[in-house]
Amino acid sequence: MTVKRIDHVGLVVKDLAEGVATFEKHFGFIADGTRGGEIEPLGIKNAFVPVGESDLEFIQPITEDGPVARFAQERGEGQFLLSLEVDDIAATVEHLRGLGVRVADPSPGGVAFVSMKSAFGVNLQLVQRG
Amino acid sequence: MGIGATHIDHIVIGSNDSAATAKLFSETYGIEIKRVMSRPGTGAHMEFAKLQEVVLEFAGPGTPPEGEEPRARLGGFVFAVEDIDAAVAALRAHGCTVEEPHAAVQPGAKLAGIKDGTHGVPLAIIQYGALPIEETKA
Repeated sequence: MTVKRIDHVGLVVKDLAEGVATFEKHFGFIADGTRGGEIEPLGIKNAFVPVGESDLEFIQPITEDGPVARFAQERGEGQFLLSLEVDDIAATVEHLRGLGVRVADPSPGGVAFVSMKSAFGVNLQLVQRG
Repeated sequence: MGIGATHIDHIVIGSNDSAATAKLFSETYGIEIKRVMSRPGTGAHMEFAKLQEVVLEFAGPGTPPEGEEPRARLGGFVFAVEDIDAAVAALRAHGCTVEEPHAAVQPGAKLAGIKDGTHGVPLAIIQYGALPIEETKA
């Protein structure tokens, strides 16, 4: 398994527009208006802000349940997940399962979530780009 | 107006057992540990990996608590800036509470923590080449 780079860091915020606006104002970043929106199956809406070679993903829960909603209820705002870019998501998932890691099937978009129990509590996401 | 942040310099994964956490990320997830460091007097044990421009820092106590399973969580991150004094002034002008820049662990670097205005995210800014190397913390 080869991790190419940090793809993005996910940040949970109570209000997506306010969170993005704060980071734009304070740090001078500019959100990428071509990405993000509502993702109903995950119960979230999100926006991406490029910072160098990686992104900040701002995530607002839009339902009362789901992992992001639970995080927001328990901890408020803050860092939620670390997304790592890999070369081949299918091969990576197979490799990790061979090591005993609990990892979900990749989505059609090439994203797979690792069980937090397999990362000492860190919320890890794996993603294949391109 | 921005603060001249160029990229995420490093991301901290805090843990009650940073050595075990770094070992997990290395052996299971293929993230190569490049540097191991302990800070005498603080009890801190840190291990570092680098993924292109971003350093992944595993930080925790030098002596893990006995009998506890390793637990880790994202502990904050640091933006690299070109001029930390100007960045601090700009952040303060926006109403943020920001530490005075001080020598960082990284040779020649100055660091300042941002205490609010970050939506709950522990954040700091760092400038490399800000100090002569001999003024850097041991």
